[in-house]
Amino acid sequence: MLQLHTSCRPAWLICSLLGLSVVHTQAQNVLTAPEQVSLSPNMTTQQIFISWLGGGSTMFDVMILRTELNESVFFDTLPVTVNQSTGRYEWNWTSAEPLECTSLSVQIRSREGQTTSEWSDTHILQGEDLPTNRKFKMYPVDRAVLAGDSTTFCCIVEEGRHFGRVTYGNTVVNATRLSRRSYGFTVANQSPPNSSSSGTNVVCWDSVDKNKLSGTVVFVGYPPLLSDFFCETHDLTSAVCQGRRVRDTRLYGRKRRTVYSLNDRECAKQTISEQLITCSVAQWEGNWTLKAVNPLGQYSMSDSAEIWHRVRPVAPQNISTVVHAWNATMSWKWEYDSYTSLALVCQVELSSQDNKTKRTFTGVGLRTVILLDLYPDEEYSVRVHCGAQKNFWKWGNWSKPYSFRTNIDVPAALDVWMHINNDNTGLILWKPLTARESRGQLTSYEVTLWSPEENLQHTETLPPDTTMLPINLTQITAFSNDNEVMASVIAKNAAGGSPPESVPVPLHLTDQHNIAVSRVVYMDSGFPLVWQNDGNTSCGYVVEWHDACCQRDCPVEWLKLSTGNTNVSIESANFQPGVRYNISLFTCTLELLQRWQGFTQELVPSRSVPKLEISQQDSDVILTWGSIPLVSRRGYVLGYNVYMSNDSQLVKLANLLGQGSRKHTIKGLSEGPYKFTVKAYTSAGEDTGATISITVETLADWLILEILASLGLSMLLLAIVTVLCYKKRKWVKTAFYPDIPQPKLNDDWTRTQGPLDVTSSPHNMIHVEEKPEFNSMKEVLVGIPEEDEEEEEQMIRDEPVDTDEPTSLRYYNQMIDERPIRPRFPDSSDSSGSSLDSGNTDVTYTGIQTSASSLVFPTDHQCASEGHQVEMSMGGDGYRPQTQTTASSDEALLTHSPHEPQTASSGGYKPQSSWHLDSPVESGERECLAPNLGSPTSVASTQFLLPDDESEEHREEKHQQSSSATSWFTNLLTSTKP
Amino acid sequence: MADRRTSGGSEPQFGKMSAVRAASIGRLLKRECWSLLDFYSKRENLPADVGGADPRLVSVPPPSSQLDSRDQLWRLHVALLQCRSLMESAIAKEDEELGVDQDQDQDQGEYASLRSTVKERLKLLAFCVSELLGAGDGPAVATPASSDSLERADGSLFELKLLVLRIFKEVDYWAKTAVAILQTLSKEPARNTRLRRSIRSTRR
Repeated sequence: MLQLHTSCRPAWLICSLLGLSVVHTQAQNVLTAPEQVSLSPNMTTQQIFISWLGGGSTMFDVMILRTELNESVFFDTLPVTVNQSTGRYEWNWTSAEPLECTSLSVQIRSREGQTTSEWSDTHILQGEDLPTNRKFKMYPVDRAVLAGDSTTFCCIVEEGRHFGRVTYGNTVVNATRLSRRSYGFTVANQSPPNSSSSGTNVVCWDSVDKNKLSGTVVFVGYPPLLSDFFCETHDLTSAVCQGRRVRDTRLYGRKRRTVYSLNDRECAKQTISEQLITCSVAQWEGNWTLKAVNPLGQYSMSDSAEIWHRVRPVAPQNISTVVHAWNATMSWKWEYDSYTSLALVCQVELSSQDNKTKRTFTGVGLRTVILLDLYPDEEYSVRVHCGAQKNFWKWGNWSKPYSFRTNIDVPAALDVWMHINNDNTGLILWKPLTARESRGQLTSYEVTLWSPEENLQHTETLPPDTTMLPINLTQITAFSNDNEVMASVIAKNAAGGSPPESVPVPLHLTDQHNIAVSRVVYMDSGFPLVWQNDGNTSCGYVVEWHDACCQRDCPVEWLKLSTGNTNVSIESANFQPGVRYNISLFTCTLELLQRWQGFTQELVPSRSVPKLEISQQDSDVILTWGSIPLVSRRGYVLGYNVYMSNDSQLVKLANLLGQGSRKHTIKGLSEGPYKFTVKAYTSAGEDTGATISITVETLADWLILEILASLGLSMLLLAIVTVLCYKKRKWVKTAFYPDIPQPKLNDDWTRTQGPLDVTSSPHNMIHVEEKPEFNSMKEVLVGIPEEDEEEEEQMIRDEPVDTDEPTSLRYYNQMIDERPIRPRFPDSSDSSGSSLDSGNTDVTYTGIQTSASSLVFPTDHQCASEGHQVEMSMGGDGYRPQTQTTASSDEALLTHSPHEPQTASSGGYKPQSSWHLDSPVESGERECLAPNLGSPTSVASTQFLLPDDESEEHREEKHQQSSSATSWFTNLLTSTKP
Repeated sequence: MADRRTSGGSEPQFGKMSAVRAASIGRLLKRECWSLLDFYSKRENLPADVGGADPRLVSVPPPSSQLDSRDQLWRLHVALLQCRSLMESAIAKEDEELGVDQDQDQDQGEYASLRSTVKERLKLLAFCVSELLGAGDGPAVATPASSDSLERADGSLFELKLLVLRIFKEVDYWAKTAVAILQTLSKEPARNTRLRRSIRSTRR
């Protein structure tokens, strides 16, 4: 290109070259490379202060590289001004990473538009990762960080080891390599740890050896924040300033704590309690600034005031009192004499029992107050605090509490009442005084009964724990002619007696029952009572109440009301649910005006109905029961419910309204068992119920009537049959008892065969008894003389007829051989055998007798002495023929001497052998066989009865008895004989 | 090394009952020290075995089977005194660097309580061991050989924490050692061991 200019236009070429030469010369003169570059690091702020000389420009390119890896950290063109004092260009660069992390290389060049100078020499800020520093390191060290900020950390691994991981608290964080040994990582939006006050550990771990590590601690917190800053004075000279810490800075330790200063002077007397910072200075300055500084920032607050506007007195000291019964003088001392001229307002807090009041007093230099309206004999605790009366700022601190007890005084007047029982006795009552009313320990009560008109007086002293005095109106009446006496009561303590309180006591009972009792409903914790104003009373009313079930010396409560009251609500802590209360309204002159009854709460009756009874009337059942006692009702009994128990269920039969309904009839019950339950009920419900059972049956009277009717009918039928039989007795005789033909004796009955001499013994009679199990047709011959029969018939007619005796058929033999049968003792067996033989002959039957009464026959002595053995079967074995003489009987006949007296024999006759009577003793005593009557007894006997001379009369009597024992049927039959 | 002192007049003696009591205190210290270590390592997210390869903070002669009971007790006593010194230094340093109003930090309050308990128990155990060695000698004074390690720390809080952890581990180690030695001693037949100065002198 230069060759082209030289050949064509030499002048233009020369000019161009000159121009270029000028431009080049100028550029080389202005943009020179910066020199004497200086790096001043601030490790805490992570800033590098860079300064240099020269360059001839106001714009510079700054380039910062990580030296080892030659990575650019910063490159920018910056306007830099010259420091006039030093003549050097100065610029600060803040690094995101701690400057210790790795070495940084800094180069600078001047720039003028697009023209730049040469780069300055490289200046290196050496990091801590130099090979000469072999240790494990972590940066930044112990940094305090504002909450929410980000922080970049770096870890320099120990020479020869390898990077493992980094943790922030317990969180693993990713890191990037900054140099051969240095690794950096950033934690964003940091927050204070939840609990630990020792900061957050940031740890860099070796990749192999877990015991090789390095770390740092970061404190994430806040700058200080204050509120409620003010200054005040206690001694009227110095100032005490106070501020409140709004939040915890979360920065702990000597290096990170908050430092407070007042008016740029560090608080010499700094106290931190809870969240309050208090700073004191000796002199009041008027304007105040409290500054709080920590590594993350500072906070200031100001206050301005005159000293007299900020007076807050100290707490009074050395409190003392002068005590009386109703007041006390309280004194204290001030710590500072300057208070003497200070107008003060003081509050005295007075605590007594559970009551606490505040009383305010004012005065210049106030140090004594009088506490009025105290109660005697009461423990008080006082404390006081004060403030400036003018320009009141705040109450000072409370003094220490001080306790005292007031003196005692005479007791207060008593509330006295009386209550008269129905038996002319009564009680003088008074309400016990409270501790405050007693005004000292009570020593006694004095009750005086006195008559206003008569000069009579009687005083009784009672111990302090009494609240009543029983009186006997009868006894008082004996001494006083008045209609009433007065009772005055006073309470006494060590200071004296209370004012006497009187109540009139009527000496004559008035009938209170003529005043109707109305019910009152308990509501709003009381019985609301309303009455008409009684114009006659001038001293008010008394409302009295007590348990209605109480009859004598009841625990009475009362309430006195002033004149003009016409309503009141009676309240008492002693009210009990389920208790009926009688409430009476009296005038103060004891005139009864009105009566009420009421329950605070009705309950179900505490017991079931008493005396529950049940009775049956035809098919109806009547339930009756008694009234529940008043004390057990526990409410107004509204009625009764009658239930019938059906299995396990109760079926309501009736609801009887009213307490007086105590009878109920259940009609139309069928036979069977029933169970009924009766329950009384109040508005609160039913009681548990009383239960009773009954079994409904058909009436016994009807049964008896039915039986009697049946018997009557039977008797009537029997009578008809009897009459018919009597009327038709001939036909009956013919039909049922035809005449028996006379026996025919074929053999010649010789006396050798048997001394049967029938004729010689007109009373001899032989009964032939038939036993069913034997041949019914077998008959035994019994001889009965004709005249005997007639006599017997006559006797039977005379005897009353016993219809209960079992009837028997009786045959009358027609005697052929009338020779008497004579006893033959030496050969009784023969006689017996002949008797048996005779039985086997054709002796005709004379009768069948089943009654034991027929055992006794009319025999004569001769017949009895013949020694004929008659077998007699006892018991229920039925009838046996006379021929069946047992061996035992024979043996008995042989062993027993015929002359031996037989004590067990029947009257008049003695059997030759032992008879087995049902009860020999009894028979012996009775001397008859009457006990055997009614027993199914064999009446046949072949045993000869031994005559008993001594009992002839008995025999006759026996005969009559036995005859009377024969039935009417026998008579009937005999009467049929032609 | 501990400065051993012996009484001139009365022979040192120890009995079984004292050894049993000291062993009981050692067991208490062991348990409380474990609690402190556990609490601290959890709070700081640091493994309890960190720095295991570091040299021991307490400097005493190495254990040897040649040592008799009394010499073992002497060695233990010196170690406990050094532990006590380390604990006191660590507590003071911690309070300075991380001091906090304990009312504001319940966690810190619990930690401070545990730390104080271990320190006091350690002091008591050291006293009991000194009693075993001879009550008439008066308190033995240990050379505070290792407390300067706190001063040698590079000043970072993290280093302080690691050092405190090491101190706690050191106390834990010596609590276990004390229990082992004292239990062995308490199981020996009751006797009045009289160790003659001449014998000890010979062993030196």
